[in-house]
Amino acid sequence: MAVIESHELVKIYDEEGVPVRAVNGVDVSIKRGEFSAIVGPSGSGKTTLLNIIGGLDEPTSGTVSIEGTDLFALDQNERIDFRLHHIGFVFQAYNLIPVLTAIENVAFILQMQGKPNRECRQRARELLESVGLSDKIDKRPNELSGGQQQRVAVARALASKPDFVLADEPTANLDSTSSANLLDMMAELNRKEEITFIFSTHDQRVIDRARRVMTLEDGKIVSDETREPETA
Amino acid sequence: MIFKLSWKNIWRNPVRSGSVIAAVLLGTWAAIFLSAFFSGMYEQHIRNELDNHVGHLQVHAPEYNEDARTAHYIPRDDSVARIIRQYSFIHSVSNRTLANGLASSSANNYGVTIIGVDPDEERQVSRIHEQINTGTYLDTTRRSPVVVGEPLADRLKLEIGSKVVLQFQDVSNEITAGLFRVVGLYSTSNAQYDETHVFVHKKDLSPLLGRSDLTHEMVARVDDFHRADVYADSLDAMLGGVVVESWQDVSPMLRYINSSLDTMMFVFMAIIILALTLGIINTMLMAVLERTHELGMLMAIGMNRSRIFTMILVETFLLTLTGVPLGMLFSWGSISYLQDTGVDLSIVGEGLREYGLGTHIYPIIETDHFLYLALMVAVAAVLAAIYPAWKALKLNPVEAIRKV
Repeated sequence: MAVIESHELVKIYDEEGVPVRAVNGVDVSIKRGEFSAIVGPSGSGKTTLLNIIGGLDEPTSGTVSIEGTDLFALDQNERIDFRLHHIGFVFQAYNLIPVLTAIENVAFILQMQGKPNRECRQRARELLESVGLSDKIDKRPNELSGGQQQRVAVARALASKPDFVLADEPTANLDSTSSANLLDMMAELNRKEEITFIFSTHDQRVIDRARRVMTLEDGKIVSDETREPETA
Repeated sequence: MIFKLSWKNIWRNPVRSGSVIAAVLLGTWAAIFLSAFFSGMYEQHIRNELDNHVGHLQVHAPEYNEDARTAHYIPRDDSVARIIRQYSFIHSVSNRTLANGLASSSANNYGVTIIGVDPDEERQVSRIHEQINTGTYLDTTRRSPVVVGEPLADRLKLEIGSKVVLQFQDVSNEITAGLFRVVGLYSTSNAQYDETHVFVHKKDLSPLLGRSDLTHEMVARVDDFHRADVYADSLDAMLGGVVVESWQDVSPMLRYINSSLDTMMFVFMAIIILALTLGIINTMLMAVLERTHELGMLMAIGMNRSRIFTMILVETFLLTLTGVPLGMLFSWGSISYLQDTGVDLSIVGEGLREYGLGTHIYPIIETDHFLYLALMVAVAAVLAAIYPAWKALKLNPVEAIRKV
């Protein structure tokens, strides 16, 4: 069964009185365990599509269903709560909470879910170990490199055991070594734990590792290719 | 979790947090201290007027209040005084003989009220005897002594030993006069009063008016001058043939000053609290707008709006919780110190005298008023946090994340 099903998604922005179709009738279905990339040139609508799938942005028309739940039938607060329990986010600019340490950043999601403190810290510790940061758990974001911060962001995205992780240009701010390490780590999590990853990217390194590549042009999916990825 | 995040957030910018704490501290201090300062100033003004001039209660013949002629004296003054003294709330009573007339020296003359007193009785109700700057009070062996205010002495060019003729109407409305010698010059905080009132012996004045012992006015001190209205009413109901008035009745201006204190305090507090509120709104709004991107991210990863709202409120609450007790401590310290030493305003002493005030203001505040003001500042500070927190709620996560 598909984790994500979208039907006839349309997003029209009003830019100085001129309507712009950022997403133009997108039907997409993503199954559990996929490692997919949405690619396309700048302005093709990748991030907008990702934001709509993640419930951050509302479509002008069309539906998004996640594990059978119609995302936009929920009100704003219900949608925030839905995100907390079902969707993990990794942002281009890491977006960690600067005043919290790595372990606190990861545990924060679990605390918001109302889990006991001890359990939160235990799970956060395990996740940070799984992304190779066991020696950095008490460091604040400004004490970590870009690659390390993005690993913390991945650990945070996985904390709530989400149905899928949306990663918007996750390697855009990383050097090639950090990018490769991050992609290795995410690919391993995908393979071992069947975590579904959906990337929006135009980074060829990410595209090369994806098993499914959807190409977006002018808000439409112009190709949808499933293939064996290149190994690192 | 929210508490911990709020606590860490307020220390991410210590200067800004420090400025909010300082604003709340100053606001609390200003609200409490200014309230104490003005309360002290008003209380002092009223006490000065009561102690030196008005007294707490006054008794007159009903006709005297209509027409202050010497013929309108209090009949059977001894028995009236005896009855008044029986009341437990009465501290002391002084019988006065009054005459409005003209004070003349070789240099000039001026309209005055001549107050004839028994110095021993008068000491119990007024503090004029403590305000003698030159010479002595009336307890002297010299014949026909008079104590005059310094402004009047200047006007009439009088000094100790100078002769002054006091001219007035007797009980038969005939013009009469007496020769007095200046034995003392007094100065109270009310320059206008000092210029128009002179004190002589009752036993010297009464015969000039045509009777051996005349009383036009009884002045009484009570145990609590704030309750003078109640005491006056009960005495007035008890005594016939006379009118008993409280200081509030005798001096409507003092009553007005007393009642206007609350209004003035309200206006002052409103200004202080408004300034404080705007300061907090401005600073906390900066704190929110500066974190737009981060707040958007928090919403994106699942922090709901009520938690964001609470987080901003808690941040302000924590800052307020630091600022208010510090402000209370500072105001308590400054009031405690200055209620003994006083705030020295001698640099504007002349101006203050015009308003019946001394050169030192002694701030006073009651405990419940102190706590009430601190609570008001704290509530205002927390209310001020609502707008920035509400503003945070209006953020759209997608737009907020785009902002760096």
